[in-house]
Amino acid sequence: MKRSLTSALAGALVTVAVPALAAEVVLKDPKGDDKGPGTYTYPTDAVYTKGSFDLTEAKLEEDGDSIKVTVELNAKIEDPWDSKAWGGNGFSTQMVFIFIDTDHKAGSGHEDGLAGLNIKFAPESAWDKALIISAQGNARVQSEVNAKAAAVKADIVLPSAVKAQGKKLVARFPKSKVGALAAGFGYQVVVQSNEGFPDKTDLLTRKVNEYGGQHRFGGGNDYDCDPHAIDILAGKAKGEATEAKAQFDMLGTFTCDAKGGGKRAVLQMVYPE
Amino acid sequence: MQRAPLSLAVTACAALFATSAGSLVSGGARADNGNFTVSGKIYSKWLYRNNDKAGVVSLGNPFWPDNISGDNGVASELELNILGKVGEHIQAGARVQSRFGGVWQDWWENGDIAYDAENTSGESLGMNRATYMKLRGYWIHAELPICFVDDVLIGASDFGMFNAWTIGKVRYIDRDNGKGIFVNGTIDEEYLKYTAAVIALPKLWVGPNWSTGVGDPLVRLPFYSQDWAYALKLTSRPLDGFTLTLISTVTADAEIDLTDPDAVGSENPTCTDELGNPIPGCAKNGAVDWTNRYTNSVTTLEGQIDSWDGGSFNFIGGLSYQSINEKVTGNGVLLNNGVFPMVYDPSMFGYFARARAEFFDISENLNLQLEYFNIGETFQTIFGARRETDVLLTDGFIEGGQIPTLNSANEFVDFDEAWYETIIGWHGGTAILAYKSDLELSLEGTFITYNTNKQNRDVETKFPDFLHSEGYTDTDLYDYANVYDRGRDPRSVYRKDQDRMSAIAVLSGLWHTGFGKELDIGFKVKFIYDKDKRSTTTSDDDYLGLISTNRLWVSMVPADGLKLTVGTQFDWWDEENRRGTLEQGYGDDTTLKVRPWFDLNYSYEGLTLRYRLEYFHKDAQRERDTDRLFDVIRSKASVEVGW
Repeated sequence: MKRSLTSALAGALVTVAVPALAAEVVLKDPKGDDKGPGTYTYPTDAVYTKGSFDLTEAKLEEDGDSIKVTVELNAKIEDPWDSKAWGGNGFSTQMVFIFIDTDHKAGSGHEDGLAGLNIKFAPESAWDKALIISAQGNARVQSEVNAKAAAVKADIVLPSAVKAQGKKLVARFPKSKVGALAAGFGYQVVVQSNEGFPDKTDLLTRKVNEYGGQHRFGGGNDYDCDPHAIDILAGKAKGEATEAKAQFDMLGTFTCDAKGGGKRAVLQMVYPE
Repeated sequence: MQRAPLSLAVTACAALFATSAGSLVSGGARADNGNFTVSGKIYSKWLYRNNDKAGVVSLGNPFWPDNISGDNGVASELELNILGKVGEHIQAGARVQSRFGGVWQDWWENGDIAYDAENTSGESLGMNRATYMKLRGYWIHAELPICFVDDVLIGASDFGMFNAWTIGKVRYIDRDNGKGIFVNGTIDEEYLKYTAAVIALPKLWVGPNWSTGVGDPLVRLPFYSQDWAYALKLTSRPLDGFTLTLISTVTADAEIDLTDPDAVGSENPTCTDELGNPIPGCAKNGAVDWTNRYTNSVTTLEGQIDSWDGGSFNFIGGLSYQSINEKVTGNGVLLNNGVFPMVYDPSMFGYFARARAEFFDISENLNLQLEYFNIGETFQTIFGARRETDVLLTDGFIEGGQIPTLNSANEFVDFDEAWYETIIGWHGGTAILAYKSDLELSLEGTFITYNTNKQNRDVETKFPDFLHSEGYTDTDLYDYANVYDRGRDPRSVYRKDQDRMSAIAVLSGLWHTGFGKELDIGFKVKFIYDKDKRSTTTSDDDYLGLISTNRLWVSMVPADGLKLTVGTQFDWWDEENRRGTLEQGYGDDTTLKVRPWFDLNYSYEGLTLRYRLEYFHKDAQRERDTDRLFDVIRSKASVEVGW
């Protein structure tokens, strides 16, 4: 009954030109494109199992007072570092950022990605909300946000509950902080890895180096000019094979000069039709 | 998914060989530290307890008493990790870390062995308290242009590439102590990948009597430098969402054959017997033969099915074999009162099987996990995981985890760390129903019978009982000498007379209230029914343990990065015939435990502070012994920074 009433109210609001609600958004991504701009390799330690950073689907749905986000990867999500022992969420190596653009307008929102990702968003795709799914507990994540993303922390939302379920991470975010999902919103999902001892410029993210190491991704650059994003959405997020190349192209827009400066990779949001 | 045939993989391999040797560095190496990076950590720990023991580890070495264990002290350590880039495909690394144990009061100490008489020189003779820097681990990682070889690691590893049943990931504090040569390769990206390894055995725990010969009464000249483990892991993903993993390992401890006349200390240096007659076949040839002291082989096959959105399935089974050369292996079951990490059986086969099914969202936010386990009474893995892993779903008898080896490691821990129990002989199943939303609820039911149920088992010369095998285990007040009557040793799976079955029920919950500053309320209620008829010829010794443990806690985040938790634990154990003998009779004991605690966790930039304070009250009413009362206050704090 409550839900029916909500729907009826939503319908009434549409008539006064408020964006239509999109109670569920499903975004797909092809398998095997967990290579950043096409060259990235996994760290060599055995805990970074094949496919464990390979995004295959992200689903956002309204569920009562929550926005339920389900992120599916191409491998069973394990907990090799016993996250419960350090106040974690039942998994160890993954970290996922969901960026939402609520207005699709240039000049509104944040163009810079979050610390450690080394990405920018196109002006018309600037993000308004960032949802973080971390292996770390909220206290730790919030502390990192305060230190490394203070200027935008009002637009960062942490989950009220997180669980790993097979190949999926399921997180619930307070709808009061995210807002209702509306048609026309844009989305970008960035898969990274949880780093418990991050660099001072990284928000719990794992670095990508020129050569991979036991706990470092490889195939990038030792400076922080390359995007530290292992897999993202691209194209129309239908899961088509061509979206892999679109991702490689999008993340490959960065440049690095000899001193580590350069131009960040510029990402576009996906606007579901 | 369409896959390339193997012939294409070979062609690609040849192409790789042709190009990689001459390829150029295409990425960007930092000019300032292009081939050398250093990261570090400083860790400090404070322990407090209202007793008279100075030291910085709650529970230390049970056999050779160390001089760093104790409950009152503060100590620090420094860790430096060095990463070097040798070439385009070659990296090297090392970890240098200070020895832990010197307390802050040790201003000038450079050792731990004192002079006979006290003096104020600041000089001492040993090194444990000197916080000296030690090379803990070092490795070279190479991506070589060799067909079907992806990379080679030479040096330190935590062995995390195998599994808990074969060669287990070593505990965190030992993470760089193990060394070996590890080769990873790909025959076909989907159909066959492999890892092959040769690993140097740690001389002090992988073997009979926790050694590869050192300290064995039957080994005159320990020869541990040719003790190795060999491992092969094959992984195949024949179908999307279906992975098969085969791991086979052999652990071999060699000794000098003292019958060889060329061996130092040979029993036959002149190749003549006590009467002076020549020993047939005995002749010096300038070479020394070796003989096997101990061999353990374990093979496991694991299947993981993740092709169905509605669930996940896993099965793993394995076989083990051990061989003991009785001529060079002392019988620790006999000589060490049953404290021995294996069955003293010169030739023994064993098995285990475990099957697990997880069903997701059987109702909204409701998952179901089912598990069947059957661990043979003679399954033996000497190199299996000793702690920091958990191979069964059940919460078990003690919190922490279940491990498949008698060779567990519950020492060098503090009072707040997890314990691990041995599951050899367990046969049963677990069902867990878990609801997870803003309210998390989990209900577990486990039923266990035991493949180790047997009458008149030989625990004098063959099966280790670890001396203390009676009563529910109290990990909160544990000491190896059992002066606190802390109950059964977690490794004690063999008893002379056992006819046991157990049931475990656990209900736990966590409510994310959404009130205030992330106010959460949690609880855990656990009940264990544990019945052991012991000798089936009489009911006078029947054990019945009704164990109830209950917890309630509240946590909140009053400031960013700061989490506070207040909780309390209430335990009630009612044990009929907990301890005793048929001849002297058994006694019924009850135990009350109350433990309020306070936790603080604080993170700020790269600094992490943890603090636990608890009051511990235990009242053990013992029918045949003096009652015991404990009123303990203890705390642990740690500060860690990494950069």
